[in-house]
Amino acid sequence: MSTAAAGAVRTSTALRDAALTARERWTELASAGAVAAVAAALAPLVLGGLVATDTLASGAYLALAATGLALCIGLAGVPSLAQGAFMGTGAFAAAHLLRHTALPAELCALLGALAATVLGALAGLAVRSLDAVRVAVGTWLLSWLVALALGALPWLSGGAQGLVVPTRRLFGFQPTPLVHYELGVVLTGLCALALVALRSGPFGLDLAAAAQHRGAASALGVPLEKLRVGAFAASAFVGGLAGGFAVQLQLVADPTAYAPLLSFELLVAVLVGGAASALGPSVGVVVLGLIALAAEALGSLAGVSGSRFQPMLEALLLLAVLTTGGTAFVPAALRAFRSLRPARRPRHPAPSAPAARRGGLRAELLTKRFGPVPAADGVSLELAPGTITALVGPNGSGKTTVLRLLAGAQAPDSGQVRLDGTDVTAEPPAERVRRGLVRTLQTHASFGDLTVLQHALVGVNRTRRDGGALRALVSTPRFRAENEVAEAHALAALDAVGLTAAADRSASQLTGAERQRLMIAAALATNPSVLLLDEPSAGAAHGDLERLAAILTALRREGLAIVLVEHNLRLVNAVADNVLHLELGHL
Amino acid sequence: MSLAVQVLFTGLSAGGVYGLVAIGHSLIYRLTGIVHFALGEMIGLGAFVTLLVAAGTQPLTQETVSGGRMALGIVVGLIACVAVGVAGYVAVVQPYIGRSAVGWVAATLALGFAIRAVLDASFSRPAYVFPDPVAFRHVGHDGLVTILGAEVHVRSFAVLGVAVVVAAASAWVLQRTWFGRSLRAIADDADGAAIVGIAVERTRALAFGLAGAIAAIAVVVAAPGAPFETGSGTLLGLKGLVAAVLVRFGGLWSAFAAGLGLGVVEAALGTGLLGHLPGLASYRELIPLLAAIVVLAFRPLRAREAVD
Repeated sequence: MSTAAAGAVRTSTALRDAALTARERWTELASAGAVAAVAAALAPLVLGGLVATDTLASGAYLALAATGLALCIGLAGVPSLAQGAFMGTGAFAAAHLLRHTALPAELCALLGALAATVLGALAGLAVRSLDAVRVAVGTWLLSWLVALALGALPWLSGGAQGLVVPTRRLFGFQPTPLVHYELGVVLTGLCALALVALRSGPFGLDLAAAAQHRGAASALGVPLEKLRVGAFAASAFVGGLAGGFAVQLQLVADPTAYAPLLSFELLVAVLVGGAASALGPSVGVVVLGLIALAAEALGSLAGVSGSRFQPMLEALLLLAVLTTGGTAFVPAALRAFRSLRPARRPRHPAPSAPAARRGGLRAELLTKRFGPVPAADGVSLELAPGTITALVGPNGSGKTTVLRLLAGAQAPDSGQVRLDGTDVTAEPPAERVRRGLVRTLQTHASFGDLTVLQHALVGVNRTRRDGGALRALVSTPRFRAENEVAEAHALAALDAVGLTAAADRSASQLTGAERQRLMIAAALATNPSVLLLDEPSAGAAHGDLERLAAILTALRREGLAIVLVEHNLRLVNAVADNVLHLELGHL
Repeated sequence: MSLAVQVLFTGLSAGGVYGLVAIGHSLIYRLTGIVHFALGEMIGLGAFVTLLVAAGTQPLTQETVSGGRMALGIVVGLIACVAVGVAGYVAVVQPYIGRSAVGWVAATLALGFAIRAVLDASFSRPAYVFPDPVAFRHVGHDGLVTILGAEVHVRSFAVLGVAVVVAAASAWVLQRTWFGRSLRAIADDADGAAIVGIAVERTRALAFGLAGAIAAIAVVVAAPGAPFETGSGTLLGLKGLVAAVLVRFGGLWSAFAAGLGLGVVEAALGTGLLGHLPGLASYRELIPLLAAIVVLAFRPLRAREAVD
């Protein structure tokens, strides 16, 4: 009894905290979103005479699928062209279940969504490590595969006339178009909220970092492939859910309705409305609806069916939006709004560094050949905590290769890497980062529009325990508590390189040298024991060099083991304890 | 035996067209690093412009078109394809090269759907008969010859012949002309090519035109074989893309060979030559598509990783 009472108290405290946080973080934008949601829910009453309710309801499900697609395009930056296919998968799976089982309608839609999720996860696996071109080609082929399969396989699609779907009550209501519309609006709203929650959480930051610069994200231990599979699966789940309910609205699963044209229309909706904003896809679907009306008008003028003009108008609109520099509707409106009212400055907790991890690194006889050329030839080295080891040598002597072998970006032909006594030779970079071995890249690559603080948070994400996507979705108390700590750790990392004052600025506003320091901060934020730096002085002016030397000396004092690949011998002389000279892969 | 011969010739004549489209895809990919999603619609455009000039939008039979008007139609169709190819590059591809992948993907898709919509709005009948540029029906018995017991369309030889000639001509252009050498230089290293004085953008635009022309020739030869729909070009574009992906956008001849192979496999699956598995015929288009996705997913690991 007392444990139940204690639980009740805990729950009520947590709820009060959540409400307080929500009130504190509430912005004009949130109000605008709430107003939009209420307006959308009431739309059939206003538009009743103008647009048929089942058209509105189809639009609501389209908006849901488009919002799911925004997860792939807006968050992961991946051009997915198969959302229509995922919608079709959900629709036909749900249709078969409704025909052959007595399961409730909602469950059929959910199972349809799960079928789409499986296909989405498979697609994500197939394209997990591909560049954007191949992702586009792969998802386009998948979109055709599903469309052609529905056309060619009558057992799947019911042939030319499709599958007639029996109607069942939805959440206790008679499944009228109005009920479907309200359900579509509610689901779209939930999905948009989920998008907002994910975007500002660890999952979203990791995805954004991976979308901006895969190399730098990988060096920080972001699990690129896992994230992409997750983004595809989640996106397909939402698309499948939309399909599973939409098919109950249309009463028949039409095999021609899920052609690649649908995937294209969803892409148009996302890009026209704005991929980066949660309500953008919905706005895009509204614009598509207006286009359908315009096409109808144009068609009646020309005396042919309006549907012939619709794809053309959509294509022209998309081209117009793309050629004007990709100013999608919602982001443009947001910019105008922000220029009227400057954003509130976020409050930050006081910086606090996590408990330091200390350990050494040992490499034994690392060898890597590219054809006949040895880039690393039996390289052995040992790093003790609190030392800086400089790796110098002419261009092409294999310095970067040695760093890559140590960090796990490349597998050695032979040899061993031991981190604090543990053999990590077989482990991928992400795992090594988790154990405390992190690398920065030679370029001053950064994650585009992310703020300085968010860069550091990407590093901190590697140390988080309660930062999973599902926890972020429902914003559990533990998740929110950990957020505070994560931010304090990120600020401590920025403090170490002197960038605290710039925390809320976009990284694209920094100088090259500042970006180098920023990426060092992001690496420090993973709480490493061993830091591998590839030419941190690149692009540094005179003052920057001294600053860098001071930073490195301070890190050594704290007990980090540092490998410094450098051309600048002044920096090497100023900070290095040992200097290793590399020539043609030999020490 | 006769069935095998039948399948082989049907497959090769379809595959010759796929092969030429695959060459177009491969050329564009190697030059610009992008995939032109509107290539198939450009083929459809070429075919229908040819039809419009040769016969208007009226229903027609093989007899209603004179040779001269047909030749004019082919020339105009070819010019239209080259023009749309070049214009497409300048308008929707070039602005995004090396910048936003989502940008060019969306822009080429939009171009494709726009062309398709124009075709759908102007040519409203479900399918069109294409006049034969050459009167094959007077050769053999009603346009058929018997080889090893199989009835083979004379047109198949013409399609295959034209395809091989066009492929060889493209190869010659790439290997032996200044234009071709510029193209290969750009494919290797666009920045380096620009430094040594090659007009990169103009050459790339011409290559897009060339890809359009190759595909247009293919379709003018192949279209009379079956009813041509406004969506037929789109499907040819897809088949060409599948063939190009199967050989990982490899060289010109391997893309062509992949197209031929794809045609033969489709024909073999479609006629039940491969055993008598019930219903395998309905999978003839799905299996190559799935294979292409698998090939795409299992790319060979290069020495230098893509992420760095």
